[in-house]
Amino acid sequence: MSSAQIEIQLIASLVAIACAIPGTFLVLRKMAMISDAISHSILPGIVIGFFMTQDLNSPVLILLAALTGILTVVLVEYIQKTGLVKEDTAIGLVFPALFSIGVIMIAKNANDVHLDVDAVLLGELAFAPFDRLIISGVDIGPKSLWIIGSILVITVGLLFVFFKELKVSTFDAGLAASLGFSPAIIHYGLMTVSSVTTVGAFDAVGAILVVALMIAPAATAYLLTNELKRMLIYAICFGVFSAIAGYWVAHWLDASIAGSITTMLGFIFLIVYLFAPSRGIIAVLYREKQQRTEVSLLTFLLHLKNHTEERERHVNHLNEHINWQKVRSKTVLDLALKNNMIQLDKNIVSLTEKGDEFTSKAIDYIITNEDAQIEDMKDDFFLFRG
Amino acid sequence: MSTQIAVKVDDLTVAYNYKPVLWDIDLEIPEGVLMAIVGPNGAGKSTLIKSILGILKPIAGSVSIYDKPYEDQRQLVAYVPQKGSVDWDFPTTALDVVMMGTYGSLGWIKRPGQKQKKAALEALEKVGMLPFKNRQISQLSGGQQQRIFLARALVQNASIYFMDEPFQGVDATTEIAIINILKELRKAGKTVIVVHHDLQTVPEYFDWVTFLNVKKIATGPVKDIFNDDNLTKTYGINYKVSIQE
Repeated sequence: MSSAQIEIQLIASLVAIACAIPGTFLVLRKMAMISDAISHSILPGIVIGFFMTQDLNSPVLILLAALTGILTVVLVEYIQKTGLVKEDTAIGLVFPALFSIGVIMIAKNANDVHLDVDAVLLGELAFAPFDRLIISGVDIGPKSLWIIGSILVITVGLLFVFFKELKVSTFDAGLAASLGFSPAIIHYGLMTVSSVTTVGAFDAVGAILVVALMIAPAATAYLLTNELKRMLIYAICFGVFSAIAGYWVAHWLDASIAGSITTMLGFIFLIVYLFAPSRGIIAVLYREKQQRTEVSLLTFLLHLKNHTEERERHVNHLNEHINWQKVRSKTVLDLALKNNMIQLDKNIVSLTEKGDEFTSKAIDYIITNEDAQIEDMKDDFFLFRG
Repeated sequence: MSTQIAVKVDDLTVAYNYKPVLWDIDLEIPEGVLMAIVGPNGAGKSTLIKSILGILKPIAGSVSIYDKPYEDQRQLVAYVPQKGSVDWDFPTTALDVVMMGTYGSLGWIKRPGQKQKKAALEALEKVGMLPFKNRQISQLSGGQQQRIFLARALVQNASIYFMDEPFQGVDATTEIAIINILKELRKAGKTVIVVHHDLQTVPEYFDWVTFLNVKKIATGPVKDIFNDDNLTKTYGINYKVSIQE
């Protein structure tokens, strides 16, 4: 690997981490679309900043662009507060307007500079290593690396200091307010971090990928864990993995790096969406099938419990009486035998002690919905897991 | 009963987009009562609580908790929002939600430690949810979620408790468990204010009641003012509840 290749992967990874952190909270606050709005509407800020400083990496430009990001959020909330349109409509009104102002400004004034709409949408990660930061004659690495690195350090610092406040205001804004943690301060703090991160990542990866890097890793992590800290860690891991894997896919296909990284993000989400252990589609379908079988099992056991007469408990009779298809009867019978809940004696089925106890408990639970007593059964049967 | 005033509301008016939801409310809640706020939908019951707690900004009027503004008295107040106001799919556990009750006493930046965890576990025990402490909150039943919210308020160890419809969507067992805890709180000298919907249970559960319908209709001891006259004034229809003595 050449040093430029390493630098590109490093920049992509840092961008991924810096995006995953605010992204996790945006997803949990159901504000994913706000990141899309910010990433587009900072364009006029970038253009004005560029006219003023003639430098795409100037802190002034980042500040101006971040301010446009905040302005977007304020405008969206203002329009929404009038009660005339809903939030998604407000977002759809604000960001294209701001974005197109930026597009016009570029077309009118910046034809001869390195700032075009393509670069804005898709970024130029491949060129990032060419723009070096040189301090008193010493080359200390690509400018993008330093910019996103600084933003990342600030983001991580803020996350550590205000984790508790972020968590409580995201989960329960009402409680946060009553405890004295102003949800508005935390909200605008998060919006500021999101805007600054977006601007910092913008030059490297473009407007579209910034959104993908904020939302996709967090959405993927959300399917895998029940704990906020782990969700953050998983999101960071998915982001970094996609960044590096995406780079190599691009290298191999000789295609856009930003496009490949975004494709990787989508691909990983798809895999997790299908195969996640408890919330994945396949797990959900399997669970539903098991639950159906278990309901049948319970019906069957209850029938045995309610009928002491042998006639009712003969295998042949059961088949026609409970009125199930052969396959289903067999599945249910096997399940009951496997769990030692029934015994067969000369084709007469009867409940074992365990089966009898299980039936009583299960019926009791279904009637009372008091689930303390079936706690120990939860691990073996899907039926009791809600 | 020494009649110290726990909560005092003066000329409170709250409006959403210039439409008043609460109009010129004067209210004094004595210390140590278990009070129901009743009124029809849209009467401003939740709004009243939220304005007292500083979550909503009134356009006029003031609120004091033991003679001081709410901001100075946060530590004395615990709040149980409506269960539906939060996303129960949030990635966190029952214990963690209860721990959030301790955040107020910690203030900004400081993190919860062993002491806070111990308090949270005790509160979970009190509401009978200790076995579920590591359960993800979406996997709790509605009644269990409400108990978790109650535990979160208990851990604040406050003097005044505000609860927004704690009995909404819970089964009879949970309802009795919750009201018993509220009665215990009152016995310990705490003031408990509950937004309540089920008029039939008011005389049984509460000793103080406020009738609210945008304006305050009446407030006082249940035995004195919980009558058809006030109910009719509040609900606008000729209301009859039969209260057997």
